[in-house]
Amino acid sequence: MATPNDPFLATHEHRESRPMPPSVPAVDEIGATSAPLTSAAYFIGAHCQAYNEDFMLCKAESTNPAHCLKEGRKVTRCAADVLRQLRANCAEEFERHWKCLNEHNLEFPRCRQEERPLNECAFARLGLKKVIPGTSPATAIHEKKNPIHT
Amino acid sequence: MASQELPRPGGFPAIRYQRNLPKRGPSGLVLMAGLTTVCGLGMYRAIDGVKERKEIEREKTWARIHLVPLLQAETDRDHYRREQAMQAEEEAIMRNVPDWEVNAKGGASAVYHTDRYIPRTIIPAVEVSSK
Repeated sequence: MATPNDPFLATHEHRESRPMPPSVPAVDEIGATSAPLTSAAYFIGAHCQAYNEDFMLCKAESTNPAHCLKEGRKVTRCAADVLRQLRANCAEEFERHWKCLNEHNLEFPRCRQEERPLNECAFARLGLKKVIPGTSPATAIHEKKNPIHT
Repeated sequence: MASQELPRPGGFPAIRYQRNLPKRGPSGLVLMAGLTTVCGLGMYRAIDGVKERKEIEREKTWARIHLVPLLQAETDRDHYRREQAMQAEEEAIMRNVPDWEVNAKGGASAVYHTDRYIPRTIIPAVEVSSK
């Protein structure tokens, strides 16, 4: 997320090699690039809804980075768990979909063929369903039979 | 008495006053109906496409919304780590100065009359020289 003072938005590059103080529990960063994250986004949203909402409510209280570290760790661990489960149960489908997204500008409509098996696998083995809020099964774009834009 | 001019014997042939044009293609009515049908079907499909693009946009937006907490949490940790490192450095540099309060002015909200968190606007940093 882009926030003020982001090191990569600053006019001068600055690095800070000192580690996190030991008082803060360690958490492995997610370490995934945009394509796997986009591919797994709806499953992360479904599986981690409670943690995500908790974190965003916390951020609404205060935007201070120190305020929501605990909630943030839960969010990251939950998302990492989703990726781990996808790799364990739907490795092939997941990899095919995110590689397709990677090659197609992260546009979902251009990877429907790869997406369908992944959605089926995630629902069958992990119980995670892709639901787009504000749509019904009749209007959900990822379930449309003959889409115009592909 | 003048003699009146009379038709030739057997009379004149009938005058051809009707146009004799060859039949050319479908009638105007058919053309109009065809045009309306084609345009109608095209508009139907175009409007369908507009609705579909809206849904695609919704899909993309929600995919990003689902990722916001994750990315924000990661960024927050990085900011926190940098902030702590800066304060530790300040403490180390100023340890011989009596009554020095670490992070008194640079501290996020310290200079503003508010409890709201205000990010730093100036980051003391050593510039990384380009390779």
